[in-house]
Amino acid sequence: MLIYILKRVFIFIPTLIAISLLTFVISINAPGDPVDLMLNKSVGGDGQASEKLATEKSYEELRHKLGFDKPLFYFSITNATQPDTLYKIPQKTHRETLQRLSFTYGNWADISNYYHLIKKFENQLYNIKRNEETAIDLRKMKELTNTLYNNYDEFKINTIFNNLEFTLTQNKVLKYQLQGTFNALKNSVLRILENKNPFNKYKPDIHWYGTDNQYHHWISNFIQGDFGISYQDKRPVSSVLWDALKWTFILSSLSIIIAYFVAIPLGVLSAVKKGTKTEKSITTTLFVMYSLPNFWIATMLIIFFCGGDFFDWFPAFGLGTLPETAPFIERFFETAYHYILPLICVTYASFAFISRQMRGGMLNVIGQDYIRTARAKGVDEKNVVWKHAFRNSLLPIITLFASVFPAAISGSFIIEVIFSIPGMGKLTLEAIFARNYPIVFTVLMFTSILTLIGTLVSDIMYAAVDPRISFSAKK
Amino acid sequence: MPETENRNIEPEKINLAEMAKDQSYWASVKRQFNKNKLAVYSLRIIFVLVFIALFADFLANEKPIIASYKKSIYFPVFKEYAVNMGISEWPAEMQNISSWRDLKFEWAVWPLVPYLPNNIDFINAQSVGPFDEQEVPSKFWRHWLGTDELGRDVFSGMIHGTRIAVMVGLISMGIASLIGIFLGALAGYFGDERLRLSIASILLNIVSLFFALYYGFGSRSYILADAIGVSFGLFLKELFISFMVIALIFAMGNLISYALKNVPFLNRKIKIPVDIMISRLIEIMLSVPTLFLIISIAAISKPSIFTVMAIIGFTSWTGIARFIRAELLRIRSLEYIEAANALGFSEFRTMLKHAIPNALSPVLVAVAFGIAAAILIEATLSFIGVGVPAESITWGSLLSAARQSTSAWWLAIIPGFAIFITVTIYNLVGEGLTDALDPRQKK
Repeated sequence: MLIYILKRVFIFIPTLIAISLLTFVISINAPGDPVDLMLNKSVGGDGQASEKLATEKSYEELRHKLGFDKPLFYFSITNATQPDTLYKIPQKTHRETLQRLSFTYGNWADISNYYHLIKKFENQLYNIKRNEETAIDLRKMKELTNTLYNNYDEFKINTIFNNLEFTLTQNKVLKYQLQGTFNALKNSVLRILENKNPFNKYKPDIHWYGTDNQYHHWISNFIQGDFGISYQDKRPVSSVLWDALKWTFILSSLSIIIAYFVAIPLGVLSAVKKGTKTEKSITTTLFVMYSLPNFWIATMLIIFFCGGDFFDWFPAFGLGTLPETAPFIERFFETAYHYILPLICVTYASFAFISRQMRGGMLNVIGQDYIRTARAKGVDEKNVVWKHAFRNSLLPIITLFASVFPAAISGSFIIEVIFSIPGMGKLTLEAIFARNYPIVFTVLMFTSILTLIGTLVSDIMYAAVDPRISFSAKK
Repeated sequence: MPETENRNIEPEKINLAEMAKDQSYWASVKRQFNKNKLAVYSLRIIFVLVFIALFADFLANEKPIIASYKKSIYFPVFKEYAVNMGISEWPAEMQNISSWRDLKFEWAVWPLVPYLPNNIDFINAQSVGPFDEQEVPSKFWRHWLGTDELGRDVFSGMIHGTRIAVMVGLISMGIASLIGIFLGALAGYFGDERLRLSIASILLNIVSLFFALYYGFGSRSYILADAIGVSFGLFLKELFISFMVIALIFAMGNLISYALKNVPFLNRKIKIPVDIMISRLIEIMLSVPTLFLIISIAAISKPSIFTVMAIIGFTSWTGIARFIRAELLRIRSLEYIEAANALGFSEFRTMLKHAIPNALSPVLVAVAFGIAAAILIEATLSFIGVGVPAESITWGSLLSAARQSTSAWWLAIIPGFAIFITVTIYNLVGEGLTDALDPRQKK
């Protein structure tokens, strides 16, 4: 048995690696720059050189702190047009533009020269003193130069250059100071077009980076229990998750307890009384309940029972507005009051599902020969049902256990969103929308780990309940 | 258990009428299925839904179906199909029409609901209910199921939403079945022992896989990404080219490996544990929190209903794969497969032509339940507003509109009921099929 468990735990590893890779791929393909997200502003804009320098410096510092200045993965497979040091360029949008340019034109040396000249030109722009004569044109040129970073289309780049040149010819002060760099910049574009080498993109290029990469750092921190920092509120992920987990845990555990306590007797009853009218109405109701989408029921409950044009019996959103200092009892009742509707929505579906499974299992058992034997030898019906049949019909319920663990985290997610309960589901959805990937990562990994553990536990319980199942003597 | 029960049937109990019936496998399945009245009615409702989905443009449209305008007869709905396909163009007097109902037609045959889901009726905006006073020219123009906040007709949205729901079910389960059947069949038919490949072909296939991915997707990534921004049709075309490239590279790889087989070392055969590999993959897929995964992918990709379908398809093939794996594990040891092997057919041919067709019936069950789940997932996604573009109207997005205007009960009841009914009937058909395919139920 122990060997079996160890074996299973060993199999967790490839599964978890696969899931972590999947999330990692999603996170690096997400649009938006996490560093920008955390700084709440982007580099550039109309300011003085010192200001720009300060922003750039804080950007790079944060980037270094978050570990984004490292290569993505252990190795990279790209085409020959891209340098293996592309990750060193700070801004994500710049990287994407350069990647695209080098893909189309295939001559990295010229493109890198072009990029450095843009930077040089921009720095010169920021170093020019603003006065009445230059302010407007300077601002316009800064904006235009900034758009160069995001454009890879030949036609659009040309348009930007024409605009820049036009502004430059209008203003003598600027022309005197900038003409040289501008000409160099323009020439660099021409050189890119001249030295075009589009076949480079068909040459594969594999590069090995070693363990000093983003994925490695993230996964080793994860194993050590450091889940990173939430981009939105800059708190550690573990504390954000802990706050949310509390609410979800209350909701899910209550719902599971209620569901099991009502569903199991109901399932047994409907199996025992098979064919009667009671049974038929129970089964139909359960089937209907099982198919009812819970977000529909939640919406209907809010519309009909939470104000609107109908009854105003329950609060529609949140967990109440009582301050932390209010007496515990008061806060308890306030929260409980807000929990009633969400609890109904989370519970009814799992309740119907469990009853149906219980009924199926019970029906299977009741048709067996040994039940007939028990009845024939005169055991009274109550004992037949609860002593002989019930224990053996628990098997399907045990399988369900596997799904209870992950459901405790993510199961009630849409209900939390609808009723604005600050639990895991709502947190995760908001994190996905805000591209707050440390949180998404952690939730996905934990849900997967819990699913794996749940499956393992239910397999072990199978063996505990049913002596016919043994893991040690596998054929 | 089932075999013993079947053997117990005594010969005299089979009456002649029963004997006269068609005894083929599918005929008996059909007979069993027809006994389940609920499932039969559900199947009929599915046909109705498919009909509504196919003819949504003729049931709810802002244009008349046939109309006479300035002494000539037009078929505006058909014309629109032609214009969209680029075969035809609108006549000058019908270009850029803001409101078709204001045109002075001599006569016109209008669709059942004379609105498109996106048409905004400014007079009846702010959620007018089905029983409320509506400012419409005549009863025909009434919004029978009310309007939403912006003044869009709910009935029309429901009809066009049916199209999306039906499409989501079919396309996502189509993708899932292709992947599931292929992988499940490989695992079940070959198991861990039966697939033996020479070292040459393993090596060459791995190398081909690398180059195929590189040239098929890697060096075409920007082309594909740009195409999806232009139109779905262009994306399909580019995707097709990618697949052709991949097929070509694999063909070349296998051709070279054929030549390399003359080297004795490279021709040595190795067992490939397909079953272990695929079962592990299924296990991984099952432990991934699918809904979160779908939402995260949908949140980073460009909103499109086809992306949603593809994601659902790629994440929900495990059920089908498990069914077909179990079925092929049984079938592969039957005599007729041995016979096919003895006749010298290739393993793949035997699997595709003889084994898989006989294992497809349990897949039907998985597909029926899968469609129900897919429709529910799509409704959930559009309810929270992920993945589905803001301008496309689905049952889920109609339902979510009820959250903004809480007095509009019709926005909550109608689309929700449609989702519920659709999910239920697919589940009922699935249950009916399960019973019909179960040999224990046979009488």
